[in-house]
Amino acid sequence: MAQTFPINIWINEERLDKLQRAGLAHLAQEVFAGLKKLPVPTNEEQRDTILRRFPTAKYDSATTKSIELLPRDIKDRIFTLVVEKKTLNVIDAFLAST
Amino acid sequence: MADVNNALSPHGGKLVDRVMEPEKGRKKAKEAKIKLPIDGSRATEIMSIAYGFFSPLEGFMGSKDVDSVCKDMRLQSGYIWSIPIVFDISEEEIKEKKIKVGDSILLTYQGQPFAVLELAEIFSYDKTLMAEKVYSTKDEKHPGVKRTYAYKDRFLGGKVTLINPPRINPPFDKYWYPPKVLRQKIAELGWKRVVAHQTRNVPHTGHEWLMKGAWFASNADAVLVSCVVGEKRAGDYIDEAIVLTHEALRKSGYFREGTHLTSILLWDMRYAGPREAVFHAIVRKNLGCTHHMFGRDHAGVGTYYSPYAAHEIFSQIPDLGIGSVLTLEWWYCPVCGEVTYSGLCGHEKEQQAFSGTLIRSIIQDGVKPPRLIFRPEVFDLVMESGDKYGFGSPFVAGEYLAKRNPVITVPPMEV
Repeated sequence: MAQTFPINIWINEERLDKLQRAGLAHLAQEVFAGLKKLPVPTNEEQRDTILRRFPTAKYDSATTKSIELLPRDIKDRIFTLVVEKKTLNVIDAFLAST
Repeated sequence: MADVNNALSPHGGKLVDRVMEPEKGRKKAKEAKIKLPIDGSRATEIMSIAYGFFSPLEGFMGSKDVDSVCKDMRLQSGYIWSIPIVFDISEEEIKEKKIKVGDSILLTYQGQPFAVLELAEIFSYDKTLMAEKVYSTKDEKHPGVKRTYAYKDRFLGGKVTLINPPRINPPFDKYWYPPKVLRQKIAELGWKRVVAHQTRNVPHTGHEWLMKGAWFASNADAVLVSCVVGEKRAGDYIDEAIVLTHEALRKSGYFREGTHLTSILLWDMRYAGPREAVFHAIVRKNLGCTHHMFGRDHAGVGTYYSPYAAHEIFSQIPDLGIGSVLTLEWWYCPVCGEVTYSGLCGHEKEQQAFSGTLIRSIIQDGVKPPRLIFRPEVFDLVMESGDKYGFGSPFVAGEYLAKRNPVITVPPMEV
């Protein structure tokens, strides 16, 4: 299976509420004893495109191997797509819409 | 090249002190015939030279020192030195100001007399060679290489004297300990062994445990947190949040009183990885530290250096007279139920690594990180610092860069 590079969307109460109402709460993973995240996978090409389009974003190659520091409104858009499409595989749709 | 004792503390055996009383400084300023304005980076480098942070440097490097530092990581005198400290200038400025070797040049900052440079040499140097030797890459995406390529084409070498010491503005003033002052304080506190922690980050518990682990490993009396205050990149934590949150670890009892001290180092990070680790070791030795902690990716950026390059370099150079505490990362382990040392924890599959970048991402999403990875007192202070100093955000953005309170202010001086 090809390696994926997740965008971690950190789940606050508002996001958790939306996930629960969409019946998607099971997609959130619990980490660090009390925190929830939604790891939205990207492939290498998608990762590089995202890093190019959003210069504040960072791929944490050293520690977490995840894409972090995407602007919050961008993460909101990705999150909304996950809820609408009821799947984590939304990056193609997201990139097509930006 | 001379055979010297690199283990001497301060580096070179003598703490440089080139800070002049303002009255004498005014007289020296009057003697200088040429005035040259400088920027903030140059001003803080002059302070670091004059107060002895950069001992044995007494000024900006000449061509032989630059060449020797680039190629052999040593000064002409034989002492180890890893980063060129240079004063760049354009040929046009040299002609316009009629600058020549032997001149005393009055350097002004914030429109005030600041320092005097006794010009010993005007020279050129191959910037590509400098970048390749210091940063092990010629890639201009590397911030240190980019800085090097941006240097103007000529360099001025010579001793500098700080003639008008600036005021350090709050909240940084409480954390300003030049080497002479800090050495006195360490002696007064009776600390025999002090381990330095280099940082440009708000501390998460991984950092906290790195410091505590280094304290154990070096059998230290105390940890000196040396916060790098200097050039910022968008998305970094603001400087104020960094220094205040490190002090909060002690104030909140995560470090007992008398075991922890927060200080600042005015320095623009070069991200030179192993070479910058050597530089950090020398500067912290000059501050009076007996040990220095080096973790994963020390002073690195991107993937230019192997994660533990800074660990390897100390076995390739003479003893610097400051012990290196080489440490792996700390991670959260759900099986152990705690933040634990990666070198000991056997739950490699279950471990959950975290980083400063990850914590910034969590905060940016409007989520409060759990206390096991980020102390609540630190979180509260980060947010408060953002409101008080960061124009509503604890992260560096354009408004902060344009309008932040200056770290130093040069007082008026009539010449």
